[in-house]
Amino acid sequence: MKKFHNLSFFLFILALLLAGCKEKLPVKDDLSGISYGLVTQDSSFFTFPRDLKGHVVVVGLIFTHCPDICPLITNNMERIQEEAKKEGLPGVSFVSISFDPLRDKPSVLKEYAEVREIDTKNWIFLTGRQGEIDSLKKQLHYVAIAGDTTYSSSGEPSYFFVHTDRITLMDKEGRVRQEYKGSSLNPADVIKDIKALEN
Amino acid sequence: MFILVMLMMILPLQQQAGVIEIKNAWMRPGAKDMNTALYFEVKNNSSQADTLYDAKSGLAERVEVHETYMQGDMMGMRPAKAVEIKANSTFKFQPGGHHVMFINLKQNLRKGSSAEVTLYFRHAGEIKIKPEVRK
Repeated sequence: MKKFHNLSFFLFILALLLAGCKEKLPVKDDLSGISYGLVTQDSSFFTFPRDLKGHVVVVGLIFTHCPDICPLITNNMERIQEEAKKEGLPGVSFVSISFDPLRDKPSVLKEYAEVREIDTKNWIFLTGRQGEIDSLKKQLHYVAIAGDTTYSSSGEPSYFFVHTDRITLMDKEGRVRQEYKGSSLNPADVIKDIKALEN
Repeated sequence: MFILVMLMMILPLQQQAGVIEIKNAWMRPGAKDMNTALYFEVKNNSSQADTLYDAKSGLAERVEVHETYMQGDMMGMRPAKAVEIKANSTFKFQPGGHHVMFINLKQNLRKGSSAEVTLYFRHAGEIKIKPEVRK
């Protein structure tokens, strides 16, 4: 009988532990010990994700010449930003990282944000050296493959990417905690997860 | 006789005017030298299918009809040479699907502005629209 009680107690503790492990948002990837040297739309040096320590971060990877999917991703990030404002979640930051640094210089990113009237109070746009961007993409398991290049009348290259469609949520320590389909997510789901990470 | 000839010329055009309707046309903002997309609904009121085969505008260096496709968790775009609008149906050009792409914009396109675009249909001919720029 005593053996049975011991076993029951053990199973109870195990169930509690498993419930704890099945925590809402398990760590999918840890970038807390890695630093990527990038540049903002204002040409300031920025270390990602270290410079955002203490913030829950919504991350989207884009290329500014994308006419359809990346604007959808950006638009969904704006919807999350608006909801976060309404919900009074000041600790959340937004980051758009270009995977096309050849064309997306800081001034291009600045123009991209301005023409879309994006509120950059808590939103930064980042670009960087190709090697650094490639390394970050690899760490985030993000794929972007450039298609054929054509040239405009002024000789500017024109090409598009087939790329991962994703928005990533990182915690205050720079760890990936959730991923969403960037072009078709429900902002309310992201807000719920942000709240879980804020607490 | 002259009136009869004129009527014969005008009537087919009048019929065509309502055959294809373009609704809810809008474009996303875009910066000069960048790209953007136009979205709209095509309502074909005819009992005959029609085909959108081209679009033109002075707004960009190139204007092309494209479709976005999904490949696993990746998205890409490819040109759509012609888009069939079935008889008595509505086809939506929408984000994440078919769209008219503007490559190398000649000016900034800001929210609230509008631009003239001509759509070319095999049967209905040219249809001019003025989509609004919005998010």
